Amino acid sequence: MSWNMILYIVLNTAFVLLLAPLFMSLIKKVKAMCQGRRGTPLLQTYFQLFKLFKKEIIYSDTSSFIMRISPYLNIAFLLVASIAVPIVFIPAQESGFGNIILFLYLMVCARFFMALGGLDAGSAFGGMGSSREMTIASIIEPSMLMACAAMAFILKSTDIPLMFETVLDNSVAQYPTLILVAFSLFIILIVETARVPVDNPETHLELTMVHEAMILEQTGPKLALTELSYGIKQLILMALLINIIFPWGLAVEITPIGILISIALFTLKAVILSVLIGVFESSFAKIRFFRLPDFFMIVFFLSFAIIVFELLT
Amino acid sequence: MIDTLIFNDIVRGLFVFVLGTAVLIITQRSLTSLFKIYAIQSFILAIMAVVLFIDTGTLNLLFIALLTLIVKTVFIPLFLHKSLKKMAVKRDIQFYYLTPASSIIISALLMFTVYFVFKNFAATLFEDSLFLLGGVIGVSLVMMGMMIIFSRKKILTKITGYLTMENGVLLFSLFMAEMPFIIELLVMIDLFIVILISTVMAFGIDSSIESFHRRLVKFGLEFED
Amino acid sequence: METLFLSGCAILLLCCVFSLVTIKKSGRNNRRIGFFILLSGLICITISSVLCFLNDTDCGRTFYSITEGLSFGFHLDKLSSLFTGLIGIVGFCTVIYTISYIEHGATGKRRQIFAALLPLFILAMIMVVVSDNMFGFLFSWEIMSISSFFLVMHEREKAETQKAGIFYFVMTQFSTLFLFIAFLVIYKYSGTFDIKNAAVLPDAAKGLAFAALFIGFGTKAGLIPFHKWLPYAHSAAPSNISALMSGVMLKVAIYGLCRFTFDVLQPDLWWGFILLAFGTISAVLGVIYALKEHDFKTLLAYHSIENIGIIVLGLGMYIIFNYYGLEIQANLSLVGALFHTFNHAVFKSLLFMTAGSVVQATGTRNIEEMGGLAKTMPFTAVLFLIGACAISALPPLNGFASEVMIFQAYLGSFELNNAVVEIAMVVGLAAFALMSALAAACFVKAFGIVFLAKPRSREAGRATEVSRNMLGGPAVLAFICIVLGVFSYQIIQGIGFDIPIPNLLPVSILLLLITLILIGFLKLARVPVRIEETWACGIRKQTEAMEYTATGFSEPIVTIFRLIFRTRKTNDKEYFDEAKSITKSTKAHISTLQFFEERIYLPFARFVMRIASFISEKHNKDLETFIVYAFVAIVLVLITAGVWL
Repeated sequence: MSWNMILYIVLNTAFVLLLAPLFMSLIKKVKAMCQGRRGTPLLQTYFQLFKLFKKEIIYSDTSSFIMRISPYLNIAFLLVASIAVPIVFIPAQESGFGNIILFLYLMVCARFFMALGGLDAGSAFGGMGSSREMTIASIIEPSMLMACAAMAFILKSTDIPLMFETVLDNSVAQYPTLILVAFSLFIILIVETARVPVDNPETHLELTMVHEAMILEQTGPKLALTELSYGIKQLILMALLINIIFPWGLAVEITPIGILISIALFTLKAVILSVLIGVFESSFAKIRFFRLPDFFMIVFFLSFAIIVFELLT
Repeated sequence: MIDTLIFNDIVRGLFVFVLGTAVLIITQRSLTSLFKIYAIQSFILAIMAVVLFIDTGTLNLLFIALLTLIVKTVFIPLFLHKSLKKMAVKRDIQFYYLTPASSIIISALLMFTVYFVFKNFAATLFEDSLFLLGGVIGVSLVMMGMMIIFSRKKILTKITGYLTMENGVLLFSLFMAEMPFIIELLVMIDLFIVILISTVMAFGIDSSIESFHRRLVKFGLEFED
Repeated sequence: METLFLSGCAILLLCCVFSLVTIKKSGRNNRRIGFFILLSGLICITISSVLCFLNDTDCGRTFYSITEGLSFGFHLDKLSSLFTGLIGIVGFCTVIYTISYIEHGATGKRRQIFAALLPLFILAMIMVVVSDNMFGFLFSWEIMSISSFFLVMHEREKAETQKAGIFYFVMTQFSTLFLFIAFLVIYKYSGTFDIKNAAVLPDAAKGLAFAALFIGFGTKAGLIPFHKWLPYAHSAAPSNISALMSGVMLKVAIYGLCRFTFDVLQPDLWWGFILLAFGTISAVLGVIYALKEHDFKTLLAYHSIENIGIIVLGLGMYIIFNYYGLEIQANLSLVGALFHTFNHAVFKSLLFMTAGSVVQATGTRNIEEMGGLAKTMPFTAVLFLIGACAISALPPLNGFASEVMIFQAYLGSFELNNAVVEIAMVVGLAAFALMSALAAACFVKAFGIVFLAKPRSREAGRATEVSRNMLGGPAVLAFICIVLGVFSYQIIQGIGFDIPIPNLLPVSILLLLITLILIGFLKLARVPVRIEETWACGIRKQTEAMEYTATGFSEPIVTIFRLIFRTRKTNDKEYFDEAKSITKSTKAHISTLQFFEERIYLPFARFVMRIASFISEKHNKDLETFIVYAFVAIVLVLITAGVWL
């Protein structure tokens, strides 16, 4: 583990931890403005996290060791996954941290423990949330792997930092099919972060929520960790989408100026993407749960068509 | 002249969009968005014709693009929207024979079958593998249009299916090596569509052929069988 | 090393004899002595196979020749030592588990017979894997089948055990029949019964031999459509036998497939496609059927079918990549498939053994009646959790390490130049991803409903933790799971394959570090903790009936895949009056379409029954009719002899 790698891990993780709540509140503000309101201030999620850290933890009397450890495991898995997606600079290649399958499965891990936590408290609410969450995850998985396979086919590598470097060196005009892959990645981003039209985290009714139902029993600092982990998941998926198409500004060597430019440009691109997500969310109604497989089939078909056309011509 | 690689990628991207619109038409339940998607599909075909014109320089293509733009992107959807206003039902949720997910799987299988059948004639009809793909997508668009016709009940959806079939024929002809009198043929078919839609509006075929049939029976214009 | 191995086998035989001899004085201590002898034998075998595997040396010898060409012998090379090591390790842990497990259920003498058959079963499996002659192979194969049949029928009073045992026995003879056909075809063209390279076969014969081998080994391994015996046999058998069968016996069939397809016959391209297709179908259908199961052990049995599907599709990919000359991807798929064989043996036996502890503690196999066991049986819960994480391919455990190799092989298939094969690979990749995600969903259900929340029945509430031995065996396997996963990259490099897989050691270290930092952070902040009731929207007391059930958990997935399940719901109502307004009684019935049973197995079985009854009619006649038959037979033989000679 060279110094390059250690510096990269520290800087990347710090950036992800510090800026994840900002983008969550930005999307909420955009949605509010689309609805004609002014919305909460941009730093609201930070205030909320601080408030939660000061509260006490309440455990249900039916819960077991799973409830105690699952928030920690959830955020630990997501932080390790965030190392696979370079935001501040591209590290020197080694030790396979950036393998795309490892990245995907670390996110699956986080979701596994969250679903177990949902079943732990013995309420029907949590069980239903876990059940629907695992169903949606299983149906979106083929589409996600099709998008990854498309990226691997076009960029001829399965290592995410290497993919970014290839696009950086050769400019996206060389790979116009990546723009199509970006559409699938966008839909996958919506699904994984539980946004309308797949899931509505704003309400707390069992008909309209899947993700929130799982974490209903979490309290205090553990709830803060779980909310933060949502933000981290969103940020790393946004980073994957942005840096596959527009990686300019991403530094390749370690210079302070380069890293600062990297961070600033990425924040700008992420702000634009957040606005897009907010507007997209406000334009649709939530799809009925059993119509979701049809929707996912369309996404799968598109990614499949991209790969097939790439191969047949 | 556009660089071949970029030309390939642009055309491939347009293919994916055309297929995307076709798949969306098969699975859509709202009639207004159905017509909008059809308009987008025709627009993409017009762009495809323009791109091919820039690449090969045949003037025919520019003509086709203009015609598609005027008739199919503006005129026909307008007509369809007007006839929709007279109907009570604005959604089509019944699926007959095929569910949305299985129709997508069947369309994918159809495309592969057509590809393998066409590969044998590839040398005589098409210039290169990209054009072969274009022809295959055209034919599969025709088949998908037919699937829409038999799997839905409402007459406006069936008309949209027919229009998709026509788009498929247009796509196929764009990529064929020779282009005999296609333009005249297409204009004739379009006229036929216009007549059909005005019939719908005039007689007030409200939503599906069966309910129309029932009304005719009630008024004594048709016999029960 | 040869002597070590042979002494291990001799010790196993000694243990079997010892248990049979002391059957009169069957007592717990006698059995313990027997098991300890067994353990030492298994240690010898494991050490010798590990040595052979790492040093890459061959050793072998022929024991006894019945006639020229038919002999018993053994030959240890790298492939067979992998499998004998697997048998040794899994057997070792299972025997530790058995020491306490066998004391429950059935009477004293039957326990002694069980203790005698167990070493015979393990010994037969080892003999199958190391035999170098087809005759010895089949002989040990038959001993393995018969001893496992008796072991499955351990609790033979129950009707379902009898049905499961007979079904298993019939399918096993079915597979042996096809193996016979394959071996005879190979013998005809190569002239020898020895298991070694026989590349001289013409294409048609090779194809026939492969088809017969595929059906024979596929039946034993549990590939769809020959898989139907697996769920019945594995749930009716006692849990340690399920662990051995699912973990080890299925792998013996895989060994046979590997050995004969790669070493003896040179594979053709279409074989790879058949293996890929059937492997993918088994994997996807296995996990989809597992989602609907509510019998704990049947659920695990269907997952075995899924994992065998993964192994077989890895082997198929190896053949395809080899044909096109892509060495890295070929290595990835073969090493992935074989590594997954080892991993699956380890975590599947772990799962079956902990499931056995749970079934014994609660007295029921139905997961809808369990719950809350994480508080009463914490160690079993942790061991099951490790097994569940391993089988759902969660990093950094060993299930992920082998599945990532197969994923890498799939993603590297863009280097093939044949568009059709690439598209087939892409479709296979999509199916593989679906299966992997569904497996994770199924194990969230299994672990969650069984161990979490409150107990759903009184027996489950009374469950207590099991004895030390029943925890010790699975614990060793769980430890191996973790080690194999975290150090996977180092182990594969150490064995000598240089393939591009992610290094899971820094990942695991980082995970551990971050978790410990967070826990320490919150402990330092001294956050107050309070225990309260679960929020139930204001009801006074939440009961067990309000918890989520297993049927409810898998309901969304079952609805989405309803075309595969095709549940039939019938609702019979009886009325008192003509106008159908006063109901007398209602009967509702929900059943899934048992596709393979109703459409394939039962018609075939009925056809065989018809032939059998036709022939048995001819048998139940008197003496004169039999003499007529003999007379007709002699006349026919005379005529044919006259025509030929």
